[in-house]
Amino acid sequence: MTDVMTRRSAPALADRLKPFSLPLGIVALLLVFALIEPRVISGANLRNIALQTSFLAIFAAAQCVVLLTRGFDLSLGVTVSLVSVGAGMAMTSAGVAAGLAAGCGIALAVGLFNGLLIGAIGINAFVATLGTSYVVMALASTLSGGFPVAPLPPAFNAIFAQGSLFGIRAAIWVALIVLLAIGLMLRFTTLGRRLYLVGASARAATAAGIRPAAVLIAAYAICGLLAGIGALLLTARTGSGEPNLGGNLTLESIAAAVVGGAKLTGGEGGISSALLGALFITVLSNGMNLVQVDGYIQQVFLGAIIVLSLILGRDGARR
Amino acid sequence: MSVTTDNPAPAGPSRLEGFLVNGGVVLVLLVLVVAVSAAVEPRFLNKLNLMNMGRNFAFLAIPALAQMLVMTTGGFDLSLGAVVASGSVVSALVMRSMGADLPEAGVAPVLAALAAALALGLAIGAFNGWLVARFNISAFMVTLATASAIVGVVLFQTQGIPIYGVSEGFIDLIGRGRIGPVPYVALIALALVALGIVMQRGTRFGRHIYAVGSDARAALLSGVPRAKVLIATYALAGALAGVTGFLMTARLGSGQGTIAETLAMQTIAAAVIGGVSLRGGVARAELVALAALFLTVMANAMNLMRIDSKFQTLVLGLVLLGALALERLVLREKTE
Repeated sequence: MTDVMTRRSAPALADRLKPFSLPLGIVALLLVFALIEPRVISGANLRNIALQTSFLAIFAAAQCVVLLTRGFDLSLGVTVSLVSVGAGMAMTSAGVAAGLAAGCGIALAVGLFNGLLIGAIGINAFVATLGTSYVVMALASTLSGGFPVAPLPPAFNAIFAQGSLFGIRAAIWVALIVLLAIGLMLRFTTLGRRLYLVGASARAATAAGIRPAAVLIAAYAICGLLAGIGALLLTARTGSGEPNLGGNLTLESIAAAVVGGAKLTGGEGGISSALLGALFITVLSNGMNLVQVDGYIQQVFLGAIIVLSLILGRDGARR
Repeated sequence: MSVTTDNPAPAGPSRLEGFLVNGGVVLVLLVLVVAVSAAVEPRFLNKLNLMNMGRNFAFLAIPALAQMLVMTTGGFDLSLGAVVASGSVVSALVMRSMGADLPEAGVAPVLAALAAALALGLAIGAFNGWLVARFNISAFMVTLATASAIVGVVLFQTQGIPIYGVSEGFIDLIGRGRIGPVPYVALIALALVALGIVMQRGTRFGRHIYAVGSDARAALLSGVPRAKVLIATYALAGALAGVTGFLMTARLGSGQGTIAETLAMQTIAAAVIGGVSLRGGVARAELVALAALFLTVMANAMNLMRIDSKFQTLVLGLVLLGALALERLVLREKTE
């Protein structure tokens, strides 16, 4: 299994230059927007970008974990909505702790459901999570009756949205801890190495005595849980359980992951993909907001960015 | 893999498999849902309701054919719903700009609208196909991204407001027209299904689509022009979606950018229930049409029984997952 890791750490020259292209791209993007609208690089806006990035980085990390296994999660956005509603309802009736537990429980359940469909039954990940997304979407809107769940306990917002430590917002701390944990898991644990191996070659993994099904179930469970954590942070920020909170998040998280360099062919990408990709997408949408690009047109840019990064990052060998 | 222990396949894989492949499940499901609906809800067999179902069948069957074509090549088209919406909007825009609602306008604006919807669908489809073929990138991702872009453009153009000013004659003829009890749009859909069957079975292009989906390398070695076939297939799918948008505009009486939001998934559901393989190379137009009919009848029955639309989404999701699980569990022997 370590073979896979070492081979990946000795890439060709073009690949060696690649890690620098995205950070440079982010800086360039920031400067271009700043030329049009100086507020883009104001301290307040940069802090705002950091905060926004932390939410998206968690979702992108979730997407990265399943992308490693050649998978995909189309149900991420609606899971965020369902967690927001479910946690909100639990919180209003039984307090913040119950809400957090309910949120994580729901997210884990959706992740496990996806994992079972994909790992145990062997359904194609794209279609399985597409099917799940409709089930989860229906649950989110039925549960809430279409209305926001409010008011939430003030403590929730005070701790997870307004709270800060050493001048850094709670959401950023949580994102840092989550990314660090996932990064360590991928690099140093058996599960992490198995995720890479199953993604690189399910057959080789089976030959090595690994059960791909179990690894896939774990991957989707982690993906779900991360979506849940992100959803709780977003819910704290909006101050209510929102049945449409997930909106564009599926697309944005996928965009962030592939822009960051996660490959759809699996076995590649890691936590830096999630972080840099999320930063890029956040700078892009923040900049477009400040220079007043229409929200619908932003969707066009997002689509174009996904296609472009797929073309640039493609693996010529695969169909 | 422990789940395989309780699947029914080992009991009689070949017979059950044969039944499934030959559309037995679709037929049983269809008969079941028709029988139950007719028994529970007397209005179900009402003539107006049947005509309504005929139209809804058309609006699902035509894009489902499109989805089937793309899936036969081993791909997916998630942008079909977005193309339907853009076809509807562009049809209405063309008709409005040509003064279609004036009495002297005649048939020209309607034909121009059809041409515009066809051309737009064809162009978007060809672009999807080109991206998939030229860059070898996942069809699912490509069409997810183009769907987002198309919806963005359509909603920017319309701001979510229906576009009126379409021809009254167009609404009367295509939207409401019928021969006896059969609406024109249902006839158009049936004709397209028949064309699809002929194309799949009897033409070189049809065989090429199967060949690309079954084994891309073998197809390439045996001289099938993979890139051309892919581009043509996606373009054809886009054109079918564009036509669907045009026909829906006649039904709705306006161009709407928000129609067909869940269509991509419904068409995938119809294709999967109709036995189309997710790995490509296996598809039969008549079974996909039957599956589209089944989904249409089911949705209609739930509407009549006043089942909430959110719950219908839930049922659709579960039906899709059930069909996928069944495909995997029963056909696993064959595919692994």
